[in-house]
Formats: sequence, C-alpha cells, structure tokens
Amino acid sequence: MTKKPKVYALSTCPYCKRTRRFLDEHKVAYDCIEVDLLDDDEQDKALEEVQKLTGRSSFPVVIIGDEIIVGHDEERLKKALKL
Amino acid sequence: MTVHEIERVFCPVCLAKFKFAEGWKEGDLVICPICGQKLKLARGAEGWVGERPEKGTEKEIRERSEEFARLRGYVFGDVKEEIIEGLMGKYKRFGDFYCPCRMNHTPEYQCPCKPTRGGDVEKNGRCYCWFFLKKT
Ligand SMILES: [Zn+2]
Repeated sequence: MTKKPKVYALSTCPYCKRTRRFLDEHKVAYDCIEVDLLDDDEQDKALEEVQKLTGRSSFPVVIIGDEIIVGHDEERLKKALKL
Repeated sequence: MTVHEIERVFCPVCLAKFKFAEGWKEGDLVICPICGQKLKLARGAEGWVGERPEKGTEKEIRERSEEFARLRGYVFGDVKEEIIEGLMGKYKRFGDFYCPCRMNHTPEYQCPCKPTRGGDVEKNGRCYCWFFLKKT
C-alpha cells in the first residue's frame, strides 16, 4: 500500500478547489494542508516544504508517490492515480 | 508669484500617483486610472490622497475589478466568481484584497497585482489567476 496522496492548497484559490473536488469525486483519500489557514510557524514550515518540493510557491501541489503535480492538472492526476 | 506644479492624487491601493484633473474638488469620487479603485478625494498633509469609501466590501473589489477590466479592455475568465470569493477570504484573513492564488500579502499583490498592472495580460493573454483575460 502506497502512502496517501498529499495536497498543499490555499483556501482562497479556485484551482486548489478544483483539484480537491476532482479527488473527492474519484473517491481518492488524501491529506490536505490549507497553507493559508495555518498558524504562522506552521505556515512557514509548509511554505518551505512546498519550495523544497517544487522550487517555487505555486498552488495546488499534489504529491502522489514520487510524482509532484503543481497546478490543477486532471490528466496528470488521472495518470498518477491510475484512474 | 505661484509655481504651478502638476497636482497628483495618491492611490492607496496601487501606491501610485495619478494626475489631478481640472474641476475636481475635495469629496469628489474618482477612479484610479491605474488600478480601477474608486476614490474619494481628500487633502492630506502631503497633497491629494484618495480614500476608499467602501473599503473591504465585496462591492469595492467587484467595482475595482470591473473598472480595471474596462480601462484595459480585458474580459473576465470563467473563474470570476470564485476569484471574488477568494479575494473576500484574503481580506478577512490577511487584511486586504491580495491575490487569492498566491501567498504574497504585500501591496504589490493587491488585486489587480503589480504584474497585471504592468502588462502581464498583454504578454501572456491572462493574469496569473486567469481572472483578467485579453479579448480574443
Ligand atoms: Zn490605484
């Protein structure tokens, strides 16, 4: 069993919402971090993680196994999740 | 003898100054030609400043975006309503209408953000959020 997908999102961003909706609709269980709603320290930590993973701070970021998907991209999500 | 300098109005949204037009007076409502914000003219210690009469309301950000689009000849993307909702969320949590698709809470990223005010839509056909689009 592989690890649950992880999503870094902003609560205010329409594309993050679309990605989450897509995962929900396909009944994919995932962990979601809403970066903008975290407390200062945790927010800094999350932003650092995103920076380290992607080299920038664009959202959403979806991590599926070794795959890192930046932005809402249904084709890549399907492929990575074998849907 | 008086020296006539070009009078300018400071916009608290885009932090730029625009030309004070003839006939304007204190209390008038004018539109910032750079960002589209509606401003009430007031005389500050350092000259004319614009005040935001409906600061923080949905009406304010809706009108600002629409004026900006009108000034530049842009149209809205299909995410318009979600972006407005996101902008309201930014105001609530971070104190102003910062770009809902980013984590930058500085005046530069007040909507319309500096890259957008600087011509990103002409260059890329859209702003970062696909909120403002170039007419096709
Ligand atoms: Zn302005």
